[in-house]
Amino acid sequence: MKKISKGRTVAGIAFMTITATLLVACETTPERSAVCSPPKGTNLDQAISKTRFDMETGCEGHFDSYFDNLLAIAEGDPKKENKAVFSDFLLWANNEGLLSKRQARQMYSRYFGVKYVSLASDYSVCSQTCPRQDEVMRAMRQELTDKEQGLLKISDDRRTYYRASQLFQESELVLEAACEACGPDE
Amino acid sequence: MNIATIWRPMISTGWPGGLPLAACLLLFPLASHSVSRAPTIKLFPTTVLEEIKHTGHVAQEMESGLQSVIGQLDEQQKLYIESKCEGNEGDPGCEQISRQLGKSYLEMLQIMGDRLPDMETAVNATSASLEKRIRKELGQKNTSWTLQEMLIGEATGAREEKRPALRGRSGMRLSDRFRQYYNLVAHSGGQSNSSLAVIASDIYLDMQETSHLIARTQEEITRATLMEQLNQSFGTITPEMQEVVAGVKTILFGEDNSVIPMEAPPSLQPDQEYESPLTL
Repeated sequence: MKKISKGRTVAGIAFMTITATLLVACETTPERSAVCSPPKGTNLDQAISKTRFDMETGCEGHFDSYFDNLLAIAEGDPKKENKAVFSDFLLWANNEGLLSKRQARQMYSRYFGVKYVSLASDYSVCSQTCPRQDEVMRAMRQELTDKEQGLLKISDDRRTYYRASQLFQESELVLEAACEACGPDE
Repeated sequence: MNIATIWRPMISTGWPGGLPLAACLLLFPLASHSVSRAPTIKLFPTTVLEEIKHTGHVAQEMESGLQSVIGQLDEQQKLYIESKCEGNEGDPGCEQISRQLGKSYLEMLQIMGDRLPDMETAVNATSASLEKRIRKELGQKNTSWTLQEMLIGEATGAREEKRPALRGRSGMRLSDRFRQYYNLVAHSGGQSNSSLAVIASDIYLDMQETSHLIARTQEEITRATLMEQLNQSFGTITPEMQEVVAGVKTILFGEDNSVIPMEAPPSLQPDQEYESPLTL
């Protein structure tokens, strides 16, 4: 009798231990997002919180569409502080391994910087840029549109946008002259 | 800024915190290096400057030679229209006006034929010199990224300097354009690399366009001269005449379009600019 009750006690303790372990495990594993859908609404802070949550719970493959969505939401409340908000978000994305440092920098500069990431290159203007001059100018034009969104519509920073616009015109002129001077053989 | 300029006042007044003199001298070379300017790009050596000046003089000579005959043509054309000679070519008065027009036109073509080769030589020489400098200094020594940094003025620390006006010298006399170019460049001692790059590009592309226009006009002149000599016997004014005169005016005096100004800067906003660590 004593042996049977001892066995039952051990089994009971084991059962309770396993049950408790399973319950704790369920609580610490975050619930995976059922559907990856970018946040709606007009509040940027809330949208960023939801985005962070979704990125941590399996939606990292949709980063670009989430980011585009955040930009659209931010347009609803243009202010200078939005630059810092997006900078912090991209730094977080880098820390989480969603973006490399270079990608985070390029993304920030594309929308909120004066310089054009479309002009990034490792070789001379004559050898690398001029053979693709039309393509480079198209990319710059698109980037100017992105800067209009980031600097004017989101950050209300007209001065920086003016500088970016001026840089576009000067780059276009100087590249046209340089490529004409480089000639077709370079 | 040389080392002496930095360290002399500090030695005379004493370094704050009482650091020994030897340590100051060790620090200063680093300080002077950090404020040194980027090398100036060599886009306008003296030869190019002189070529621009010479091209301006040639343009001025051509303008003065043609000014009176083009003025005469304009007057005669005005008289032809005011006398309602269109469709009335049989009238003896209209015939006389159209013959005089034809004569003036031939005279203009002859002067152009004589002067344009010199103009073409001067423009091409300027263009060729600039092309060499631009290819080397901008096209081969820079990537598009460093070119952008030069334009934005970071290399030299120049930020909010006055920017040279971009393309758009329509409506300006040829000689005035070259005078303006010469003044821009000759007084460019204080200008940054970004301004020099923009000015050089502007001049070079303008030279290219002018050169093409001169070449096309020269081709037209030979043909137009022959046609007008034939027309003299008939006393008609052809639309081609008007086109050639218009083309000559374009070369000398520019087109009639108004210059499209650059976007004016928005009013300066109070500065508390956010600087992200992600800024490239």
